[in-house]
Amino acid sequence: MYVRAIPEKCSGCEVCEVVCSMKHFNVVNRYKSGIRIEKKSVVEDIPHVCSHGNLCNFECIDACNFDALKKENGIVVVIYDNCVGCRLCEKACPLNAIWIHEKKAYKCDLCGGEPECVKYCSQNALEVVA
Amino acid sequence: MMWGYGGNVLVVDLSTGEGKKIPLDEKLASKYLGGDGFGAYYMNTMMDASVDALSPDNILVIAPGLFTATPIPTAGKTAFFAKSPLTNGWNESVMGGRIGVAMKQAGYDVLIIKGRAEKMSYLLIRNNEIAVKNAEHLKGETTRKTAEEIKKDEGDVVVASIGIAGEKMVKYACIDCEERQAGRGGIGAVMGSKNLKAIAIFGSNDIEMAKPEKAYELMAKYYEIMINHPSFEDDGKYGTGEFLEWMNKERGTFPTRNWREGVFDERKEIDPYYWAPKYAIKNKACIQCVKPCGKAFVLQKFEGMLDGVEYETLYSLGSNCGVASIEHVAKANELCDLYGMDTISTGGAIGFIMDLYENGIVGKEEVGVDARFGNGEAMLELIEKIARREGIGDVLAEGVKKAAEKIGNDAEKYAVHVRGMEPPAYDVRGIKGMALAFMTSPRGACHLRSGAYALELTGKFWKFEGVDRFSSKNKGNEIASMENFMAVYDALGVCKFSRGIFLLNFDEMLDAITGKPLSEGQLEKIGERIHNLKHIFNLKAGWKKEDAKLPHKVHQPIPEGVSKGSYVSVEEEREMLEDYFQARGWDRNGIPTRKKLEELEIEEFMK
Repeated sequence: MYVRAIPEKCSGCEVCEVVCSMKHFNVVNRYKSGIRIEKKSVVEDIPHVCSHGNLCNFECIDACNFDALKKENGIVVVIYDNCVGCRLCEKACPLNAIWIHEKKAYKCDLCGGEPECVKYCSQNALEVVA
Repeated sequence: MMWGYGGNVLVVDLSTGEGKKIPLDEKLASKYLGGDGFGAYYMNTMMDASVDALSPDNILVIAPGLFTATPIPTAGKTAFFAKSPLTNGWNESVMGGRIGVAMKQAGYDVLIIKGRAEKMSYLLIRNNEIAVKNAEHLKGETTRKTAEEIKKDEGDVVVASIGIAGEKMVKYACIDCEERQAGRGGIGAVMGSKNLKAIAIFGSNDIEMAKPEKAYELMAKYYEIMINHPSFEDDGKYGTGEFLEWMNKERGTFPTRNWREGVFDERKEIDPYYWAPKYAIKNKACIQCVKPCGKAFVLQKFEGMLDGVEYETLYSLGSNCGVASIEHVAKANELCDLYGMDTISTGGAIGFIMDLYENGIVGKEEVGVDARFGNGEAMLELIEKIARREGIGDVLAEGVKKAAEKIGNDAEKYAVHVRGMEPPAYDVRGIKGMALAFMTSPRGACHLRSGAYALELTGKFWKFEGVDRFSSKNKGNEIASMENFMAVYDALGVCKFSRGIFLLNFDEMLDAITGKPLSEGQLEKIGERIHNLKHIFNLKAGWKKEDAKLPHKVHQPIPEGVSKGSYVSVEEEREMLEDYFQARGWDRNGIPTRKKLEELEIEEFMK
C-alpha cells in the first residue's frame, strides 16, 4: 500500500503538508511532514511521497548505516532512536520522499492505513494504492 | 507562549543592512490580531505619513494573518503595506503566496523594511540569520526568473520579487510570490525605490497552537462544509470569472471600454465557461486553500503560461480595453505578472489611452500604436512600453490621474479613478453602495476593503437584506459595517471567498489557535479599530473630504442593458458620504471624533 501522487491534479495548496505535520506532531511545519509539494513552475506542482518499495527498491534502507530505517508490515518506518540525520537516505531516495530536518528523518508512515493527506486533498491529487 | 504566532517583529534597515528582532507584544496582538491589524498599527507608528512614497523614509510592512500557517482552511494570506505612490495615501495589498507561512515559521509576524540599499539587492532571511545580498545581476529580470535564480543560489526559500516595472517605479507595480500577486497601489514600486529586488525566506520552526486537536477537528469540519458546498464544483471549474455572464446579462454592471458601457457584447471568449475547458490544465490554489479559484492557463497561439485569468483581469485587460480575444487577454496577464504590474491599473491605464485615442485627444504619433479599443496587439505593445517607461508608457506608468493632468485637453473626464486608484470590475453606476465603497476605501477605488459588491448585487448578506443596488439611501452603515467585517478577514488572513461560510464566527477557531475566543461583536470592534487607523494614516498623509469623489464617468448614465439609465449624481455622492461619516462616528469633514477614538482605544494616534 502507498499514496500515489497525481501531479496533473495538484493545485499546490500544501494542505497535505499541514495535515501531515498536525496529525503526527500537533504543529504546522512542512519540514516535519511526510509529504512535500515541489512547486516547479506555474503549471507543475509535484507532490513527493514515499512509495514504500512499490516504485523503488528500498534505496533508503540500503543506504542507512545506522539501522534507522526498516520495513514493518510493508511500510518503511524511521527508528528515531537510531537516526542521526546523516542524510544518506535523503540522497539515496529516487522519489525525493524522505527528508532530514534538525538531524531527524521525516517520511510517510501511511497514518496506520488511512492517510490523512489523501482524505483532505480537495483536488483528488493523492490516492491510496492497495 | 503566544500560540499561533511566530512571536517576533523584524525591522530591517536596508541603508545599513542591519536587522533587529523585537518580541511581539502580547497586548498588541490581542488588540490587532495580525495581518491588517499589525499593518495599521506599524504604519502609524514607524513612519511619517507625509513622506514621499518613493523615498527611503517610506516603509514596507509585511504581515501574515493570524490564521496563516495554521490548519484553518483558506487561511493563508499575507498582507503588504506601504504608503502608495499611486494615491499618496494608505496602501495595503493581500496575496495568497507562501511568503507569510515562511515568515511565521522563521519566527516573524511582522517584517518592516526601511531605508534604501545602495545597489540592487535582495533580503535573505533564514530563521535568525538576516542578510542583504547583491542582486545587480538580476536587474531587469522578470519576477519569475528572479525567483528561479535566487532559489538556485539559496536553495529552499520562498521568494517574493519585483519585475522591471517595480525597478522603473511604475506607480502600480506589484510584488509576485509564486505567481500570486500583492497587486494594488504600487507596492512593487516601493520595493523598487528601495533597490530591493526580492525577499527570500526560509523558516523551519514549528507553529504551535493552544488546542491543536481542536484546530484539527475544525479544519476537518470546515473542509467537509467547503467541498460539499453547492458552489464547490463550478467555483473550481471556472474560478473567479464564473459570474462574468451574469454580471453582463443579469446585472449590466461589467465596465466596458473605459467605462463607456456596462455590458461587453463581445464577451464570448473571455467567459471562463468558454476558455477554462480549452486552456486551463488544472486548478491553482493560494496556500492552504481547499477550493482553488486559480487556473493553470497554457497559451496556444502565443507562448506562455500563467495562474489566471482572474475575473478582475478579464475586465481590465479584456472588456475595459474592448479586447475580446482570450489569447490576448491571457498574454497581457502573463506579461503583467512577469514585469510585475497590477493588471487592474494596467488595464485602466490602457483603456484610458484608448478612449482618448478614439476621441481624438491623442493621436498615433503620441501613442505610437493604433490604440483603438479592441486592438489586442496594441494592448500588448502598450504593456511593454509602460513596464519600461518608454514613450507614452512613461506617462501611463503614472496612473490615469497624473497621466490626465499631463495630457490635459479635458483628458480628466476620461480618467476613471478614485484618489488616483483605477477601479476594479464593478460598474458602480448600477451598484450605488459600491460607489460609496470606492470613495471610502482607504486605498482608493477598491472592491476588497468592503466586499459589498456581492451584498449589493444579490440584495443580502450577513445582517443585511433587501438591499437595493439602485438606491443611494442607507448605504453609510452598510459600507462601514462591511469594511469592519473585511478588516477582520485581512487581520486573520482568511480568504474573502469564505466569508459566506465563516461570517464572523471565529470564536471556536480563535480558541483553538490562540486560546482566546472572540465574539462577533468583539471582532467587529477590532475591525472598526483597524479601519479607523488606516483612515488616520490617510489624514496624516493629507486626505481631504474633497478627495473622496467619483470620476466623471460614474456621473453619466449606463447606456444599455438591465442597468440602463442608472448613474450616481453628485448630490447622491455627497449624501452617501455624509451618511457614511455619521455611521462611522466621524464629523462632517470625515475626521474621527474624540469619542470614537476613545471608544476604539486609539486616541493616542491622533493628537
